[in-house]
Amino acid sequence: MKRLVAALALATLTFTATARAEDKPPKVTVGYLNLVNAQLVTKHLGLLAKEMPGVDIKYVKVGGGGDMLRAIAGNDVDFGGLGNPPTAIGATRGLPIKGILVINMLDYVESMVVRADKNITSLKDLKGKTVAAPFGSTTHYLLLQALKNEGVDPASMKIIDLAPSDIAAAWLRGDIDAAWFWEPNLDKAVKNGGKILVTSGDMARRGYPTWDIGVVMNAFAEKYPSYVEKFVKAECEGIDFWLKNPEKTAEIIAEELSLPLEDATRMMKGTGMVPCDKQLTEQYLGTSAKKGEFVDTLVATADFLVKQERLPKLLPRAGFEAFIQPAYLEKVIGR
Amino acid sequence: MSVEAAPMAMPISADRTRRGSLRMPNVSRSVLLSTLTVAVLLTTWIIVTEIGWANELFLPKPQAVWAAFVKTMTKGYQGTTLLQHLGASLYRILVAFALACLVGIPLGVLMGVSRNARGLLSPLIEFYRPLPPLGLYTLLVMWLGIGESSKLSLLFLAGLPGIVISTIQAVTSVDPVYVRAAQSLGATRRHLLFHVYLPAAGPLILAGMRISLGFTYTVLVAAEIVAASAGIGWMIWDAAKFLLSDVVIMGLIVLGLTGVVLDLMMRAIAKLLMPWART
Repeated sequence: MKRLVAALALATLTFTATARAEDKPPKVTVGYLNLVNAQLVTKHLGLLAKEMPGVDIKYVKVGGGGDMLRAIAGNDVDFGGLGNPPTAIGATRGLPIKGILVINMLDYVESMVVRADKNITSLKDLKGKTVAAPFGSTTHYLLLQALKNEGVDPASMKIIDLAPSDIAAAWLRGDIDAAWFWEPNLDKAVKNGGKILVTSGDMARRGYPTWDIGVVMNAFAEKYPSYVEKFVKAECEGIDFWLKNPEKTAEIIAEELSLPLEDATRMMKGTGMVPCDKQLTEQYLGTSAKKGEFVDTLVATADFLVKQERLPKLLPRAGFEAFIQPAYLEKVIGR
Repeated sequence: MSVEAAPMAMPISADRTRRGSLRMPNVSRSVLLSTLTVAVLLTTWIIVTEIGWANELFLPKPQAVWAAFVKTMTKGYQGTTLLQHLGASLYRILVAFALACLVGIPLGVLMGVSRNARGLLSPLIEFYRPLPPLGLYTLLVMWLGIGESSKLSLLFLAGLPGIVISTIQAVTSVDPVYVRAAQSLGATRRHLLFHVYLPAAGPLILAGMRISLGFTYTVLVAAEIVAASAGIGWMIWDAAKFLLSDVVIMGLIVLGLTGVVLDLMMRAIAKLLMPWART
């Protein structure tokens, strides 16, 4: 505890010291996940560029959590977005990142789709079938978690690792019988003989919430703390826009993802956007003084991954608490 | 005279003994140097990780890599043991490589002997040869699906041009004197092919096969990225997603060593089949 306080004090000290004579980053690279959330709005409206005039802003689309982890490990991005399983992996493996805001809560924007003509009505019917999920992502985690809860042996089916876009292609070819993945690709499977069996929202209500969190590289945050605030502010503006202008947002999503407007509208409703002031409550990030339920989710996720032999050891709770850093958001909100 | 003769003889005998003593140790000397390289690398690895210069996330200690090896050998990685992973990969490589040889060598001989065949087929080979395998792979997956056939096709296509091109070169560089000599002795085309072209071109074809096996090997990880659940390449790719760098490095070492063994086997086969060739 003492060490934590000392570290925090040191952090605030360097924070205030560098804040005065802070440089401007020449370039900011934002890795964003290819899914439906307010980051698309922020990107589309150029809100980040407005916050950071004169900075070269580069957006990089990343397929899934596993790829994002690699991008972070390779120092290819300054800001990124991660679902809770890759976050648990990154934090446990000591990746130099901090979680700074809630990007989205996952509801039916991520779902398990099964072939309607294969008579699959429960997870037990998946025996002997081919099931796809992007390994290391939120949906891979939920798939294994759901199978475990239903007492279905994962070895009784063929679970294969595919990127979301490849899942859509494999689905159209008829190579797979079921897949748990996300929009905008999920829709292609649903429209081609698929039906939804379980959604990530269902799993959240059963006590397995999944979400995506915005992360910043430690080195960037140390060098340009005020630019982390600017980033958070821009994303919060995007979230506000999403909540206040659903119709215009749908138009933006439709344009960004080249989708019909009605599809964009439906996908939007499957994503939970959390207003920035609410993110500082118990249910989400919590405050710097008392971290919220995101820490619980991370501990539970990491515990599950350790049992799956995907992680060598369980990081103590304090490690996950240190990862969640609401301080920037607190400054933006003015608390 | 005898005094003068002695210095004359000395250098010769000294030279002879030096050469004689060098010839045998020559082999062990290169082995020694190779061992030295490996030892230096390993020591640097140990030192760098022990001092803590390297982040364990990116460069784990040799002990950790060894532990990952032992664990994967005994308990397996995600339910499949290392030998099963290796078996899956070797199966893909060897089947694809055998197919590439079966198609590539006759094709190369044909193109080498016949100018018409060369004219007809070379645009195809020349066009797809420089295509990056991953670009080709997306199309193969769309056409053939995510199963084994697209993986084998990718490996096959990676191996094919090397064999074809080196076979063409091997056949065209056969000394025309051999051919004319055989023809003047009444050799048929069949005789020419099996008793002149193939034996004479054999060593070069074999060199091409070795290069081609190397090419096949280099696209293994790419081939196993899509929808595999076993294979060394898949294991490396999957472990990287979970930042298990010890498994990644272990997999790479296994992959490298297997490649060396495969190449040695190719050379041994060459010696057996073509004792006249210098490999």
